[in-house]
Amino acid sequence: MLTRTIALLLAPLVAATVLPAPVTAQSGPLRITISEGVIEPLPFAVPGFQAETAGAEQIAADITRVVAQDLSGTGLFREIPASSFISTPASFASPVAYPDWRAINAQALITGAVAVNGDQLTVKFRLYDVFTGAELGEGLQFAGTTGGWRRMGHKVADAVYSRITGESGYFDSRVVFVSESGPKDNRARRLGIMDYDGENRQFLTDSNSLVLAPRFSPNGDRVLYTSYESGFPRINLLDVASVGRRQITTVEGEMAFSPRFSKDGGAVIYSVSTGGNTDIYRTELGSGAHSRLTSAPSIETSPSLSPDGSQIVFESDRSGTQQLYVMPASGGEPRRISFGEGRYGSPVWSPRGDLIAFTKQNAGRFHIGVMRTDGSEERLLTSSFLDESPTWAPNGRVLMFTRETQGASGGPQIYSVDISGRNLKQVPTGGFASDPSWGPLQQ
Amino acid sequence: MSTGGYISGIGHAGLLIWLVMGWGFDSEPLDFEVAPVSVVSGEEYAALVAATSPQPQTELPPAPETPVVEETPPAPETPVETPAEAPPPPPAPEAPAEETPPPPAPEPLPEPPAEMAEEIAPPPPPPAAAPAPTEVPEIAERPVPRPAPRVAPEAVAPPPPDAQVADVVREAATPEAESAEVAEIEEEATAPEEATTEIVTEAEEPASAPETPPAPQVAALAPPSAPRPPSRPARAAPQPEPAPETPAQTQTAASENVTPEPEPAPSTDTSDAVADALAAALASTPAPSAPAAAANPGPPMTGAEQDAFRVAVQQCWNVDVGSEAARVTLTVAFDLDPQGRVQGDVRRISGAGGSDGAIEAAFQAARRAILRCERDGYVLPADKYEQWKEVEMTFDPSGMRMR
Repeated sequence: MLTRTIALLLAPLVAATVLPAPVTAQSGPLRITISEGVIEPLPFAVPGFQAETAGAEQIAADITRVVAQDLSGTGLFREIPASSFISTPASFASPVAYPDWRAINAQALITGAVAVNGDQLTVKFRLYDVFTGAELGEGLQFAGTTGGWRRMGHKVADAVYSRITGESGYFDSRVVFVSESGPKDNRARRLGIMDYDGENRQFLTDSNSLVLAPRFSPNGDRVLYTSYESGFPRINLLDVASVGRRQITTVEGEMAFSPRFSKDGGAVIYSVSTGGNTDIYRTELGSGAHSRLTSAPSIETSPSLSPDGSQIVFESDRSGTQQLYVMPASGGEPRRISFGEGRYGSPVWSPRGDLIAFTKQNAGRFHIGVMRTDGSEERLLTSSFLDESPTWAPNGRVLMFTRETQGASGGPQIYSVDISGRNLKQVPTGGFASDPSWGPLQQ
Repeated sequence: MSTGGYISGIGHAGLLIWLVMGWGFDSEPLDFEVAPVSVVSGEEYAALVAATSPQPQTELPPAPETPVVEETPPAPETPVETPAEAPPPPPAPEAPAEETPPPPAPEPLPEPPAEMAEEIAPPPPPPAAAPAPTEVPEIAERPVPRPAPRVAPEAVAPPPPDAQVADVVREAATPEAESAEVAEIEEEATAPEEATTEIVTEAEEPASAPETPPAPQVAALAPPSAPRPPSRPARAAPQPEPAPETPAQTQTAASENVTPEPEPAPSTDTSDAVADALAAALASTPAPSAPAAAANPGPPMTGAEQDAFRVAVQQCWNVDVGSEAARVTLTVAFDLDPQGRVQGDVRRISGAGGSDGAIEAAFQAARRAILRCERDGYVLPADKYEQWKEVEMTFDPSGMRMR
């Protein structure tokens, strides 16, 4: 009896001192924190788009390939080969057999249909999240002409990319670049334009004069570039549709180069070299009014505006070595943001506004890298004999740049790399090419 | 001629006479050693060398001879002593003893060691150079992971070329000819997909990294990480009364959970009294705003059990590190049935760190991870179902962004 009494007295104490923590800790739902994951391409399946009209089979197959190549080309997705499919939808409206797609580990399923009437083309698609067993977004349809079938494919891929990643795509975009041909010591250079994937290449200028550093306008209708047509570097403005061009009125009698559009496309910021001193200027395209943004006795060049138009990042050797600086868009005291070893140049502000891409030369190697806008979290993405001239994809996710190879037979080529440093690959340009400038998504 | 001229002439003449006669000089010769020299023929010298060379070879290799090498350079004494008779010294005495010029003396007993020392001098350096591997830094540089399409918490070696990618490692199985009566299923070998532990950019790759590194290198580069937690044993047989009970039944179940061992038959043992009292105390502890069913959730889940659950989900959580969604920390909730399968929808509880689109993309990725890896149900302790039937899972990619 005494023992039982003692036990009864001590039991609450034991319960309060020994067991309370677990009991109270798990009285609610089990709480788990996941901080480690995997980084791998997301497997997707895209059965051939249905041809809903006679004669549309080939174009349906071609569009399907464009969609698959766009997504796979990002490095973020992996196409499951058709030979692995257990079943395929009988029609665009057929219900989806999710177990069949789960069995082959497809996480996303894209179905589509194509109709051709004369030269009118209609493409529609649906995207399914296989493991949730639900459609991701709603079905979408695009209409255009048969001549623009590649763009239709790009638009479908952009929509799929956007729904899965939550970001806009970059497939329906173009790149302006300098096409180079001829011997290394006497290269002919002319402006070219192509789809982001190297397709539909066309030339915008002839090869009679040296052209450098083309830059797309914010809406992609015009191109700024540096021309040596007069023997001195001058800034030209070219209309992409008409291929008409005119020279920009810059500061009198001096060398002007390295131009970029302002955020609204109504002004140009560029560099002017005067008596060994190079500074950054701004010219309004409408009025031709100039303003000087820097006035240091050093070389300031390669200006690039932030997406909101409030700041400019540029390179300068005012500290003795070539480094990156940020200043207000109207000029003012610059703030140095690069402090690593080596020389930094060609800064370009990301369309997202969160990163700045740059070229870095250190220990005999060239790198393309990215850093936060305050200079932190610098990360080098590439390394080669010569990498330069980075340009951002319209969604700020991918960089294109020029990579030049060594030797008598070497020359410049255009490459692209994901900002994570993955998926480094060459962009087909049909020959030597340099100075890419990635335009916006087409309207 | 002047007087001065006479005096000068007499003085110079006297000086000349004094120099010729040597008056006043010590004519004793300087001390110097004289060595007897004789000329030997080539045949005689060869015979002499043949007779003497084996001896020094067996004696000199021992290590103590090494210092002799450093004292050897001042040895030009030999040519100084016999400049006339001796032939010019060999310009580069690299050749074996047979090719060296004959020694200057016929009985140069003390000299052969010096000569042999010159010839044997080259061997000593190798012993000094041999220990070169000890100059390897004591602390090896941090290994750079190999680039691989997949980045995962644990590195995985490339699968064999003929193996299919799968979650488990399986050897290839082919039906044997002699057992044709028994139908055997032909299975292809499988292995997990190759993975590395972090993104390796071109700038981080070692310049000489081979395209397909051999397997031993893979092992060497593998990070020292703990092995994957062992899978739990097969789920226990369903309890007779796993379903929600009345509060009274729950209390009984709780008391059973606290003392999992089967209770012996009724007795008046003291331990029973303590157990009963403890159970009563637990039962009387007020549950913080929980329904009656959760008032007695049973034994808590151990850290290992929670880790196993976490690992099961994280291996399906695909993070797009370059996206805005990789900056979103998201919490979702879902319910599990007793078999560990998700019941109903995965619900978003909170999300922060990005735009609405980024949060939605992060939510979809989290939901895909939970649903994709459940397969036949997450392996969780059945006797603790009350602990895990409701789950709140937070996905925090902050550690993934800079991998």
